[in-house]
Amino acid sequence: MLKIRRSAWLLVVAAVCWLLLLFSTISQGQPVLGLPANWPRWLVLLAQGSFAASIFMYARLQPDALRGHGFVAVLRLLFWRGLILTAGLVAVWAVERLTAAQSLPLPGNLTLAVGYTINLGLFILLLSLTLYSWRSLVQFRGSGKIRREWLAFELLLGAALLLQLFVWQIPDFLYVGVILGLGLFGVYLSGHQRWIAYLSQGQKLQVIMLQLGVLSFMLLFLVYLRGAQANSALLAPPTQQAFLVLASFFAVFYAVAGLLVSFFNLPIADVYEQRRAEILSLQQLSQIIQRGQTAPEIYQALFTSAVQTIRADAAYLDAQLQPTELVGPTPPPLAHELTLADLNTLRTQLTPLITKEQNELIDNDLSRSQRFTDLSKPYCSAAVLPLRSATHDYGVLVLLKEELGGFDPEDLSILHTFTTQTVLSLENLQLAQEARVSQRAQDELRIAALVQERLIPKHLPTDNWFEISTYAQAAKEVGGDFYDFLHLPGQRLAVLIGDVSGKGVTAAFHTAQMKGIFHALMQPNPLAKKDRDRYPDPHRFMVLANEALTHCLERSSFITASFYLIDYEAGGFSFARAGHCHTLYYHSIKEEVSYFQSEGLGLGILRDASYGRHVKNQFWDYNPGDVMVIYTDGIPEARNGEGDEYGEARLAQMLEQCFYQSAEEINQYIRQDVLEFSKGLPLHDDQTLLVIKFKAAQPQP
Amino acid sequence: MEPIMKVTAQPTDTTLTLILDGELDASSAVVLDTELNKPELLKYKKVLIDCQRLSYISSAGLGVFISHLQRLQDSNVKLVFYNMQEKVFNVFEILGLDSLMTIVPTEQEAQAV
Repeated sequence: MLKIRRSAWLLVVAAVCWLLLLFSTISQGQPVLGLPANWPRWLVLLAQGSFAASIFMYARLQPDALRGHGFVAVLRLLFWRGLILTAGLVAVWAVERLTAAQSLPLPGNLTLAVGYTINLGLFILLLSLTLYSWRSLVQFRGSGKIRREWLAFELLLGAALLLQLFVWQIPDFLYVGVILGLGLFGVYLSGHQRWIAYLSQGQKLQVIMLQLGVLSFMLLFLVYLRGAQANSALLAPPTQQAFLVLASFFAVFYAVAGLLVSFFNLPIADVYEQRRAEILSLQQLSQIIQRGQTAPEIYQALFTSAVQTIRADAAYLDAQLQPTELVGPTPPPLAHELTLADLNTLRTQLTPLITKEQNELIDNDLSRSQRFTDLSKPYCSAAVLPLRSATHDYGVLVLLKEELGGFDPEDLSILHTFTTQTVLSLENLQLAQEARVSQRAQDELRIAALVQERLIPKHLPTDNWFEISTYAQAAKEVGGDFYDFLHLPGQRLAVLIGDVSGKGVTAAFHTAQMKGIFHALMQPNPLAKKDRDRYPDPHRFMVLANEALTHCLERSSFITASFYLIDYEAGGFSFARAGHCHTLYYHSIKEEVSYFQSEGLGLGILRDASYGRHVKNQFWDYNPGDVMVIYTDGIPEARNGEGDEYGEARLAQMLEQCFYQSAEEINQYIRQDVLEFSKGLPLHDDQTLLVIKFKAAQPQP
Repeated sequence: MEPIMKVTAQPTDTTLTLILDGELDASSAVVLDTELNKPELLKYKKVLIDCQRLSYISSAGLGVFISHLQRLQDSNVKLVFYNMQEKVFNVFEILGLDSLMTIVPTEQEAQAV
């Protein structure tokens, strides 16, 4: 807001000063509209100086012309504005000529005076516009130093204005000195033509034309002003010589300097354009990579960029991707201006070359080296670049030129940048694919872990005659341990624990199978005569499970399991052990901890009817306060840093210390001890620990 | 990973002795499996496994013997283990394999089987 108001004020000041100037010029030599004739010289100079100063200040406050526009646009805008101002000049001049010819009855030099003042105003406007367009160009990509120098230049110009305002009787030597000094400063500033380097050939031509236009506008104004001041009919007050001379000198000199620089830059413009094309190609190449595109697109981008940038007459790119790589099949070879026959000739002749010459090959005189002589066109230069990373070959790029000495070190360096970038992007692509695949595998595994988690019984059976506590931890995402409970009619409970040989996903599959077998076998048999026979006893359970597993377990796999059928009414349980860890038991009457010693072969080892002879049904009568600890081998085989195993002896010791506690407390006590034993080590095997404590029956609530 | 077990085969006319040295787990089981898979194994009367330097056996290791058990029985080749460390024997025993396979204390007894 403040800025707008300030610039508006500047315009008002400029308008007032211009009117003052107009009236003073008209009333020179004669009184007009009741105003006195021959105004004091200082007033005229003040009006003139203030007008110039406010116009320049106004132009200075305008936003940088370069912001958001190109150099040509800046010059074009200046040209059009200059053209309008010059059109004004020509119009006023024409009116002057007409009135002079018609000899209209107008007082004295009225037309001349008005015309002169208008044109002086237009000229100052043109000067200010030009000067501040040049400012943008001078300061383009300039350091702080050039900005300070420009400010100094502006201040000195302002000083020149003031100098003439207040000390109008300047001695000649001072006047000449100031003009010379400031002029040299202007010449120095005119050396800042950095922007021209950024123009293409066509743009340079445009710039030259536009600058010629601007120069001719200024020349027209200068011719007019000189003529008007020499005109004896015009009784104009003197102009602000020093300021205007300096400003127009700088404006003209900068334009001429720029023109010359552009002109002499024309022949080498294509070099710059080529460099720019290289940079653009490189940018394109990296953009394609960032968008994560496919291998064929990357190869295509490299090929197009290389052919265009190097201006090859013919080229081909043989892509090569290992079938094991995840980026996809090898894309077909790319060719540019090559016949199929040529392509085959090249391929056969190149193969030995590439293995022999480890790195790139540049041959700038093919006829002498007798290479690639059987091609349909007489190519004289060839560049062969393998696309190679430390571990992989991604193919080979071949460029051909008809001229001798077609490839220079510059070309080679840019081609190197291209190929390096391509190899990098192909490797990135592969890494990204690998990451995606392994991510998917991990996701699948996580889902498998979730599924297995759901297989573990969440709701432990509760009753008033026992307590159960469970703990299970897989060594990997999924494990080979399993356990399950099933409440049977009457006060009976079936408990199954087991361990599939091996670890990980394969083992996890079999745990699911085992759970299915458990629930299938524990369906009540409707044909059973006696209630006791409704469910299989442990021995029969193992025999049936072994038979079922025969069909779904690979030969080298087996399962260990223990099955317990606890009957509260009888106050005892029957059980069978199929190669599983011995059950640890606390006998409350004998106050003794011991392992059940029993024989039993693992499931899936013998796959015929003889299995029944290798597993036994056993019975045990329990007392309230007895504790049964059921576990998998991950517990006694837990290892410490020295490689020692936790062992069954220590497990038994633990139970001796905590048998009187609740099932949950006993479980935690043992678990804590195992954890302390194998402190800081990852789990060696899956661990499962079930604690069942028998209690005296409470009356049913 | 390098297998942490070495298998040395010592054939005679009727007997093949395999000397196991190290830990028999999932990675080293492959070595033993290759050895037991050889077709010429079936021409022997006996395959003796010297377990003196076998310090550990995992379920995958047991799986190798289990998977060849039936084949050897069908061809009337006896599989005899001897010199077994107590820790390793416990693993065989818990799984119930001692009732299925011949495990004897010394080489003399193994030869006599």
